[in-house]
Amino acid sequence: MLINWFSPLPPAQSGIAHNYAMQLLPALARRHEVVLWTDQDQVASHVQRIARVAHYDPAAPPWREINNGTISIYHLGNQPDLHSGIWQVSVCQPGIVVLHDLCLHDFFFMLWVHYRKDPGSYLAALERWYGAEGRQAGEAYCKGGIGAASMAQQFPLTREAVRGALGVVTHSGQALTELRETPACPIASLGHPYLAAAEAHYQRWLAARKAAPGPPYRLVAFGYLSRNRRLEAVLAALAGMPERAQFRLDICGQLWDEGNIRAHIERLGLGSLVKLLGFLPENLVEHRLSTADLAINLRYPSMGEASGSQLQFWDYGLPTLVTRTGWYASLPEDTTAFVRPEHEVHDIRSHLRAFLADPGAFRAMGARGRQTLESNDPAKYADALVQFANTVWHRAPVVPALDLAARIGRDLSAWLHPAASAYLLDRASREIASLTDDRRSAASASERQSGLPLA
Amino acid sequence: MRIPFVRGGAEVLAEGLRRVLTGLGHQAEIVAIPFKPYPPERILDQMLACRLLDLSETAGTPVDRVIALKFPAYLIPHGHKVIWMIHQHRQAYDLWQHPLNDLHTYANGGDVRAAIHAADTKLLPQSRGLFTISRNVAVRLKTYCGLHAIPLYHPPQDAGRFYTRPAEDFLYFPSRIDPLKRQDLVLEALALTRSAVRICFSGPAEEPDFERKCARLARKDGLRNRVQWLGAVPEEEKRDLYARSLGVLFPPLDEDYGYITLEAMLARKPVITCTDSGGPLEFVMHHQTGMVVEPIPEALAVAMDSLWDDRERARQWGEAARQRYDDLRIDWDNVVEKLLP
Amino acid sequence: MRIVVVTSEVPFIRGSAEILAENLCQALSAAGHAAELISIPFQQDPPNRIPDQMLACRLMDLSEACGVRIDRAIGLRFPAYLAPHPHKVIWLLHQHRAAYELWDNPLAGDLIHHPYGPVIREAIRQADRELMPEAKAVYTISKNVAGRLRRFCGIAGEPLYHPPPHASQFHKGSAGDYFFFPSPVTGLKRQLLVIEALAKCREKISVRFAGKSDNPRERAACLEAARRLNVEHLVEWLDWISEEQKRELYANCLGVLFPPMDEDYGYVTLEAMLSSKPVITCADSGGPLEFVVDRQTGLVADSVPEPLARAMDAVWADRRCAAAMGEAGRARYADLKISWENVVERLLC
Repeated sequence: MLINWFSPLPPAQSGIAHNYAMQLLPALARRHEVVLWTDQDQVASHVQRIARVAHYDPAAPPWREINNGTISIYHLGNQPDLHSGIWQVSVCQPGIVVLHDLCLHDFFFMLWVHYRKDPGSYLAALERWYGAEGRQAGEAYCKGGIGAASMAQQFPLTREAVRGALGVVTHSGQALTELRETPACPIASLGHPYLAAAEAHYQRWLAARKAAPGPPYRLVAFGYLSRNRRLEAVLAALAGMPERAQFRLDICGQLWDEGNIRAHIERLGLGSLVKLLGFLPENLVEHRLSTADLAINLRYPSMGEASGSQLQFWDYGLPTLVTRTGWYASLPEDTTAFVRPEHEVHDIRSHLRAFLADPGAFRAMGARGRQTLESNDPAKYADALVQFANTVWHRAPVVPALDLAARIGRDLSAWLHPAASAYLLDRASREIASLTDDRRSAASASERQSGLPLA
Repeated sequence: MRIPFVRGGAEVLAEGLRRVLTGLGHQAEIVAIPFKPYPPERILDQMLACRLLDLSETAGTPVDRVIALKFPAYLIPHGHKVIWMIHQHRQAYDLWQHPLNDLHTYANGGDVRAAIHAADTKLLPQSRGLFTISRNVAVRLKTYCGLHAIPLYHPPQDAGRFYTRPAEDFLYFPSRIDPLKRQDLVLEALALTRSAVRICFSGPAEEPDFERKCARLARKDGLRNRVQWLGAVPEEEKRDLYARSLGVLFPPLDEDYGYITLEAMLARKPVITCTDSGGPLEFVMHHQTGMVVEPIPEALAVAMDSLWDDRERARQWGEAARQRYDDLRIDWDNVVEKLLP
Repeated sequence: MRIVVVTSEVPFIRGSAEILAENLCQALSAAGHAAELISIPFQQDPPNRIPDQMLACRLMDLSEACGVRIDRAIGLRFPAYLAPHPHKVIWLLHQHRAAYELWDNPLAGDLIHHPYGPVIREAIRQADRELMPEAKAVYTISKNVAGRLRRFCGIAGEPLYHPPPHASQFHKGSAGDYFFFPSPVTGLKRQLLVIEALAKCREKISVRFAGKSDNPRERAACLEAARRLNVEHLVEWLDWISEEQKRELYANCLGVLFPPMDEDYGYVTLEAMLSSKPVITCADSGGPLEFVVDRQTGLVADSVPEPLARAMDAVWADRRCAAAMGEAGRARYADLKISWENVVERLLC
């Protein structure tokens, strides 16, 4: 199977690029032929050693080359500058969509309203899935009358992202069901791939941590730090603690609103305790994580995403603080500390105090977290992904059939008298189904177990 | 549309049009879709099938125009479609519940009829031009669908080959032997004529029951020697029969158009037709180019006697008929001019 | 019997498929049946509308006309052979080749250039696999087509050869001083390959090409190549010739060149045999290989200029051998008993 892979790649500032893709691609490329399609100006050279990198222009993808592959796998997330090209291709060619965020309202809003100055498409999408109510809410949102979080929670637009997909992969089927945005195609829930570092590495990190014991204890926050990463709550928690000087907070990552956060830090008088380090390159990340004591990995509201960074923290044996929601709510109790969304500041302070009282207990929690990483073996993920791809590829004829049905539906609604519609719609559906049914083909399924489509 | 194995007027028209267009330097092809109108739900299937076809281009070259002739082929979408309607699906319109048709006898006949009405009404206006082969068809379209269409006459096949000869002792009725053509009415009328009117019938018989009925009527009281059944005759012989006839009988029920009327006019012969004959009424002028009478045996008998008894008047009416044909500018150039302005 | 021959057509394009359909109808009529041709218009671009036309064919009803049964339907081409009939026989000219062996052919694959190409390809293959077996019997025009059908769809089709049009009018004339290559000028027929081979020939060979070109670019490419390789003076391009002229050119040539890429069947091979001429073809030419016996009725060369040039030289240099191979070809044609009577008998049995 030749896979066309569409995802952000290093050096793009995205967890999907640095954590997910870099974890999975070596394992995937060892087993199958993979072409990494990108519309980025730059791709890190180490990526090119894993698999062939090919460039495409989202406005005019090179279909001839893309069609040398068997199936396309598209990775979608909320950052429009990294995912809009990918999404554009996915709209043209049915493939597998991997949802790194389940709630993609922000992606579509930014893409259509902000970048393309095309609010019409945004409103049309809202109407398509949520009716008049969705359209009205969208109009109000565009005028500034509704909050972003509320909009995203009510109208996640997940189904818009997977329209016409052959299959969908998520990190948490539970979270998808909770969203009530079930796609009309097969879904696979695959745990986030993560290759734990070798034991020798881990020991080095433990040694580095031991060599720099606190206090002050180092708190870290990483990644694309948007509103839902709860930095304001963390800052408020710290500011209200007399023991705050026993902590240092390093904020490493791209801030959604840097000016606002800086002002906040100043206002709370935390300037000496909190550092904004921006997005760190790989080599500096290792140093930061191996000498950190506690990772702050809060998210609320959850976008349904799984956190590659959570797995990375565990890799380093770091204890973590997570919000009890979405995917995080499913993490084992003894592997992380939980913060309740309605009692954020209180719970953060209580965990920080507990840490001061017994840092060893927290370190043990981090070690247990690392042990769970066995089940995230990228090789297992790669196999599961390819097996899913094989399964959904056999459904390929369904996509043009649904397309045809939609076209017929539109045409018939223009002229078909209601008295005749029951008969004709039924007849048309049955004939379309007979064109795409694979009763006979199922009988020769053994030919396909090798995973190669016929010829 | 094409009903496999049936040759009829529509093929003649399509082929005539194609030849003329090709002659004018256009590339013209006939696309014939098979049509089986029973059971009624098949009509719906085939309507949908036509909506699914694509005539917008062939091998990368656009198809500039589509001229659509019949239901349901005229539903095939095209950006520049002109409809020159031979007729709608009459079973759903003027022939609904007619004893000779059966759509209404099916349980879903009414539903399908409604669907045909809706489709015609909604989709016909999407064409760039709406023409019919006669005013009769245009009137039906207006009556049932509220749509305005322009009648556009065309010549019968081999129009230039018709000629005239001095009239002999027979009236000619060329037409396939079919209840809608009403040979039986003519035979009933023949029994009532005062003069020894003789009739020559030509045309294939495809309805065995009706054929038997006509044979029975023709055998009655002394009619046997006055009736001749020639069956299907070659075109040349048909033209000869026109030429030598005293006049032409053509009293069909609500004919769409009626090549026979025009053929008679070309052959300079008067035509006897009926008040409910449809197409022929657009050409036959009572007591000028022929006679238009009530569709009852008595009235037809009177008409036949009239011709039989006054040969000179019959000849004059024939000449006037030919004049009328020429006045109407029934030629292919006119057709093409209107269809492809 | 009342029989409908169901095929698809591209309006305004008249090729061997249209001729075959008409000839089949004539053969059926000659055998005493009432036969009619039904041609459904088929537009393959844009590809995502192909399923529409597949569905349109599935919605047709060919079982009866005016209350009288239609006894048989003979389906020839995609998607027309999908039209249902209680007693349908398929005589496969070829499947929708862009979804099969021509998928990634640089000269003819067109589905592969569309984003929807792969799923449409799967839809076409699925429909063929599921619905072709509705036919009571599946025949193909050649072993080549049957082979593809088995390879891609697991369906067994019986090859059934038919004569080229006007078979009885081909004849042998004298052995002239030119090779004849009658075919439309397209990449798949590979006139370009012949020109490249000609440049490597040792003998001073003359080639007459005859055939229209639908694609002006292909024709221009050939002329360009001939110019570039300095063989312009050796080739002659006859654009449009009448059937009679074509037969004369066959009759008086030294041999026939016909090295297409994976040809379904290939009237040219049979026309050459009927004219008692040797045929030079290639190892990947498909259909012709079912008729040309290497070194007995012609030569089979690899589809690269050098070996093809050797083959052309060989036939050019040894006229006696060329003539003998031509005779052998004529005898082989007779042995194969290719006739319309046979076709009708097999299709209706």
